[in-house]
Amino acid sequence: MSRIKKAQAGNTATLSQSGINSMTIKEDNISGLYVHIPFCTSKCAYCNFYSEPVSAHDTYRLLQAMRRELSLADTSAVRTVYIGGGSPSCLPAAQLAEFMKTITDKCHDITEFTVECNPCQAAPRMLENLRELGVNRLSIGAQSFNDDELNLLGRIHNSESVRTAVYQARQAGFENISLDLIFAICGSTQATWQASLEQAIALNPEHISAYSLTLEASTPLAQEIEQGKYTAVDELTDRAMYEQAIETLTKAGYEHYEISNFAKSGFECRHNMGCWQNRPYIGIGPSASSSSGTRRTRNFSDIKTYIKAIESDQSPIGETVKISDMDRICETAVLNLRTKNGIDVKKFKQVTGNDPCLLFAEPVRTHCEQGLLKIENDRIYLTAKALPIADYVLCDFAAL
Amino acid sequence: MDTQYIRNFSIIAHIDHGKSTLADRMLEITGTITAREAQEQLLDDMDLERERGITIKASAVTMNYEYEGHAYMLNLIDTPGHVDFHYEVSRALAACEGALLVVDATQGVQAQTVANAYLAVENGAELMGVINKVDLPAAQPDVVGDEIEHVLGVKKSECLLISAKTGKGVKEVLDSICALMPAPKDLSNEPVEALIFDSHFDEYRGVICYVRVFSGKLKLKQKIRLMGSGRTYLITEIGKFCPKMKPAGELGTGEVGYVIANIRQLGDVTIGDTITDDAAPAEHALEKYKPPLQMVFSDFYPGSNTDYPKLRAAFDKLALNDASFSFVPQNSPALGFGFRCGFLGLLHMEIIQERLERENDINVVQTAPSVSYEVVMRDGKVIRIDSPSQLPDRTYIEELREPFVKLEIITGTDSIGGIMKLAEERRCKLIKTDYLGPTRVIMEYKSPLAEIVYDFYDLLKSISHGYATMDYEFLAFEKSSLVKIDILINGNPVDALSLIVHRDNAEPRGRKLIVKLRKTIPRHQFEIPLQVAIGGKIIARETIKAFRKDVTAKLYGGDVTRKMKVLKKQKEGKKRMKNIGNVQIPQEAFMSILDTSD
Repeated sequence: MSRIKKAQAGNTATLSQSGINSMTIKEDNISGLYVHIPFCTSKCAYCNFYSEPVSAHDTYRLLQAMRRELSLADTSAVRTVYIGGGSPSCLPAAQLAEFMKTITDKCHDITEFTVECNPCQAAPRMLENLRELGVNRLSIGAQSFNDDELNLLGRIHNSESVRTAVYQARQAGFENISLDLIFAICGSTQATWQASLEQAIALNPEHISAYSLTLEASTPLAQEIEQGKYTAVDELTDRAMYEQAIETLTKAGYEHYEISNFAKSGFECRHNMGCWQNRPYIGIGPSASSSSGTRRTRNFSDIKTYIKAIESDQSPIGETVKISDMDRICETAVLNLRTKNGIDVKKFKQVTGNDPCLLFAEPVRTHCEQGLLKIENDRIYLTAKALPIADYVLCDFAAL
Repeated sequence: MDTQYIRNFSIIAHIDHGKSTLADRMLEITGTITAREAQEQLLDDMDLERERGITIKASAVTMNYEYEGHAYMLNLIDTPGHVDFHYEVSRALAACEGALLVVDATQGVQAQTVANAYLAVENGAELMGVINKVDLPAAQPDVVGDEIEHVLGVKKSECLLISAKTGKGVKEVLDSICALMPAPKDLSNEPVEALIFDSHFDEYRGVICYVRVFSGKLKLKQKIRLMGSGRTYLITEIGKFCPKMKPAGELGTGEVGYVIANIRQLGDVTIGDTITDDAAPAEHALEKYKPPLQMVFSDFYPGSNTDYPKLRAAFDKLALNDASFSFVPQNSPALGFGFRCGFLGLLHMEIIQERLERENDINVVQTAPSVSYEVVMRDGKVIRIDSPSQLPDRTYIEELREPFVKLEIITGTDSIGGIMKLAEERRCKLIKTDYLGPTRVIMEYKSPLAEIVYDFYDLLKSISHGYATMDYEFLAFEKSSLVKIDILINGNPVDALSLIVHRDNAEPRGRKLIVKLRKTIPRHQFEIPLQVAIGGKIIARETIKAFRKDVTAKLYGGDVTRKMKVLKKQKEGKKRMKNIGNVQIPQEAFMSILDTSD
């Protein structure tokens, strides 16, 4: 059974590549737990995450399998839990509760426990249950406050349900609420976006994620655009909307702490910060991925395959990618740079054994010269100018 | 061996007309190789050659054959078939008394066949007509026979009809070689004279010289002298190609084989030089070859400046095996340190470029190929430049001369109009048109080399639906009304994008060029003006708009592997670009300047 054993903390590895310090990589002894609930009531037009209609499956049987997967994982270092999907909120309340109890029974030092919630599934009873089970952060998939836009995205809720959901969540005692917003939706304008931002702010959430609509190939929306049914928002407007979000949210007291994430002071998503610090994480459920630092694995996506593997005592891992020390260093740099704090030079040295200013001397120099990067107080970070074109800079850190 | 039983011959054929297949059949029939050993196209031993179906370097093989009760020694000397390798063809032919002229019965005489047949005649080789692929349903041996007689002066009635693929008629070819081809002159009592007609470099044994002995004999441990360079060496191994190298004690008059003599570098041996005995030398060397004429030049720069030594080592290695390729260090204000390389022609350039990338792990940025020009200075001095950036300031120039070539095109009569139009656009002057038969024609042009060096051949092929073939031969440098087009990117002149063109085409060409560049240079975070200057005056401008957004919105745990791959790819794309000022210019941009299509 040990082959299902999950991410291990305290990893050590030495670098063999020439020119690179071959010091031991030390690991922060903290990890996150991600649980993927692969069900949705209905699929959104832009989504390429793995999910299936909840009605088509024996949800109980899947949750049993996931509990088993979880029971075999070494969760001693887990401090944050994130249940996402799919829509965790579409599960029968009792089943969800039972599953979450498994988590809290196993993980004792959880500081942040997030559950994603579809606005129209935020029933008072369920929200209270979640609170009681130890969930202290709710991430509501608002996406937009414009009903036409919601419609186009294939969302099953409207703007009113978002307001209600936030109200209910407060009633249930949630003090840390995040709203997801999407901009550059086909047909949207800077005015409709501004309206969505302001309505989001009016609900006073602690955290807001604002994503530019990513058109993933093979999603219905991408195909409709291809067919000419909708027109994608042009790059210039997309950028203006992004800058507009930064300005509006910053003014409203939210700190822009990652490319697409904003939070009131102290409410940054700890779970995701772990990811951007490239710390290990454990993924439970179909298509969930885990990272130990030296390898990243992904579970079978297909629900039946996943269940069958676990029920027959086999590993549910469908795909394993080894992460070389070099890859790991680059990943760390790329992920760090997405955050406001950027690469903490001292910490980077301590964790990877290498001075990022030397290792990435060339890209650091060129991008500093162009005003896209800044080195200050032992930190290397993207300037405001670089944010809309971050990948242009980050790609130079993706390999050595 | 008695010279009257020796035959030295080449096979002249257009690509795919069956030269290699015929050679394979001869090797099998003479028992030189067994059918089982018969690796397809044995004579083409570089991978690249086999892939491209062309023979680049000449090689040789000795076959034993019995005819009318006598043992004959047949030496086949292979020749390259492509237009770029004229020089190598002529030195191979110089080692022969005869040549088989192989023509595909379904395709007819092609331009390179004509050019190479003329070369053979110039070299005094006797032509023997062979019409191949007569087994194919589309074969027209009669029509093709007429063409051969008409264009090449080989009697139709004397042409052998064969199918190299099935083996039909191949034995008759061998018999005819013995019966009809001239034997080498018996000069066995004269001082030794052997022609070096090719060489190649072997990592362990040094230079291997391919030789044809014209008089006297070469022996193992003989002290030899290269008459051209005056250097002396001791023969450490001597032998024949059977087809692998097989040591023998000596090579007598008329024989073909190899000599190894502790020669360290390919550069120490000049193809065409004469080997003689150091103690009893011949009075005169065999007729000297002209050095191969490099017609096409291009700059190679390492993608990253730190790769310069690596690039240099790679070129050194390539030059070891190819004496007709040259490189000299070059420093471009825009592109930094690199090399100016000279090639026989475009195909030659492509081959070198491919080998460079295949055999070495280097990212290379290559500039568009250009020809060399002669500049007559005000003070009367004539200088040769091979790059537009070397052109002196206008005020010092009296006259500019560009290379002209004799261009021969063979095509079907239905594409004459299209070809004439193309030729006219390219400043080619029609000299004469000659009918090969009722539906095929040979057109002779005088053409500026610069106009045909880049995409002319591709266009010709497309106009004629693949049927036309061409060949060219250098004539002379002649005065032309030429101007230099300069390109400024973000206000900086980029020497590697400069171009010398005819005055009449300069302006439209310049305008088209920056449109091309606008499309090939990726957008940056700032606007990039592109300008064309002729004689210091800006005549056109285009702008590359700034890009506005390039950021991944969502990046969480599960996406990291995929996203890192995408970013790595983006970085790779940047690597193949050259930084000029703060603008990154991709490889395609340098090549796009010669693309004259719309």
